[in-house]
Amino acid sequence: MISLWREVRDIIKWRELLGQMVGREVKARYKQSILGYFWIILNPLAQMLVMSFAFSVIMRIPTNATDNIPYSVFLFVAFLPWTLFANSLSSACASLVSSASLVTKIYFPRTILVLATVLAKVIDFTLALSVLVVYLIIYQIPIGWQVLWVIPIFFIQQLFTMGIALFLAAANLLYRDIQYLLNLLLILWLYLTPIIYPADLVPERYRWLYQLNPMAVIVNAYRQVVLANDWPNLLGLGMALLVSVLVFLAGFTYFKSREKIFADNI
Amino acid sequence: MRQDTVINFEQVTKKFAFQSQKTFKEFLPALIKGEQTSTGFTALDEISFQIQAGECVGIIGPNGSGKSTILKLIAGVMSPTTGQVTVKGQVSPLIELGAGMHPELTGRENIYLNGAILGLRKKQINAQLQSIIDFSEIEEFIDQPVKHYSSGMYMRLAFAIAVHVDPEILIVDEILAVGDEAFQAKCFRRMEEFKKQGVTIIFVSHSLGQVQKFCDRVLYINKSRLIADGGAEEVCEKHDEDNSKK
Repeated sequence: MISLWREVRDIIKWRELLGQMVGREVKARYKQSILGYFWIILNPLAQMLVMSFAFSVIMRIPTNATDNIPYSVFLFVAFLPWTLFANSLSSACASLVSSASLVTKIYFPRTILVLATVLAKVIDFTLALSVLVVYLIIYQIPIGWQVLWVIPIFFIQQLFTMGIALFLAAANLLYRDIQYLLNLLLILWLYLTPIIYPADLVPERYRWLYQLNPMAVIVNAYRQVVLANDWPNLLGLGMALLVSVLVFLAGFTYFKSREKIFADNI
Repeated sequence: MRQDTVINFEQVTKKFAFQSQKTFKEFLPALIKGEQTSTGFTALDEISFQIQAGECVGIIGPNGSGKSTILKLIAGVMSPTTGQVTVKGQVSPLIELGAGMHPELTGRENIYLNGAILGLRKKQINAQLQSIIDFSEIEEFIDQPVKHYSSGMYMRLAFAIAVHVDPEILIVDEILAVGDEAFQAKCFRRMEEFKKQGVTIIFVSHSLGQVQKFCDRVLYINKSRLIADGGAEEVCEKHDEDNSKK
């Protein structure tokens, strides 16, 4: 806990570097491309359209509790945060290794490299979110005050993400197997999370397993508060928060315990 | 330890471990049989020295003798296996310049990025921006992505940023070999200025001439051990003797 507090103080001290690193991530990516930042929106939009077609026209997955909601909106509300989660993990996983020249030469808090990639993805997410807003307006989905729940839910998601991200970045530096493993894992995880299907399609006897997957709880909660104007399942959300805090602490502790040998092994 | 000691190495040993078995097929049986899975390599062997504030110390020795490891320990990116390294003050590394450069970003954007990596505040960079650009002598290309730069231009920009940091301890590793003669001379003038300001300088070079001219004290490292530590001339002579024996 003390080391966490010290790390936070260090990051605040180096906040300008953090800002520059986030800027580097965002700015450098779409240089020398004609559409530039538009890709940030175009990418999820195209995926969404294709998936909507496949799962609502061909496979006809019901949207159950949120019956009057078109499938594309139903999908979008869950898929956008999932994309944020998956993209954050893949880029965080590579963050230390791709900055090898910095890690072996200059001292600064290493957590900044991981944090910067995750924050850059949050910027992407906010841009892509504008598409969702347009969708909600076009389909005239009524939005209630419950939508404010999105803020704490998002906070839990980011805490969970950061914990895994720290673990992945450090582990991948030591064993490059991790990045390949992660690709596989993310695909499986996507199907095991109620994103393309509603949570209540999950058979009763497997529900408890879903409660252990914070992403399932989080994604479901987004749907509840945005589309159904309902309260999120507070018990489930509390569980997700608890799991996220534990995952974060574990990830952070692992990162710090390996930090000393980063330069030796990269 | 003296009051003005800024760098203290106490019995510092640094070992690296290499995996002996390259593939999983070799690794697993070795693990089960309880064979050693890694071989050690000692980069530094019980090295002790102190550097006082304002000293200008050269480090010489053949390739692979452990010079860069010493610099990395001073910069704080590595930790010793045993022993203790104490460093007081802000360290500014001029090692392998341009480590933080991003090829897709423009020269100007890279100044801000690298400045931040070296610990500068945005205000400080704004104040020094023109001076940095002037020093690098590449004003007309400053808004081009650095991937279009020649290697000389790249190094100039990196060096220009690095010397605008206000360091307490400056680490210089073999970088003055870059640029044409005029630029090298300019770099040395800048280093002389640092020296006058009382900045502690650690200078690594294979050019004994440069080391003798610039440093008061020299550490001679060979085969992971500190062979000699003393005045520039006598240590360089010792180094020459060792070399001529071979």
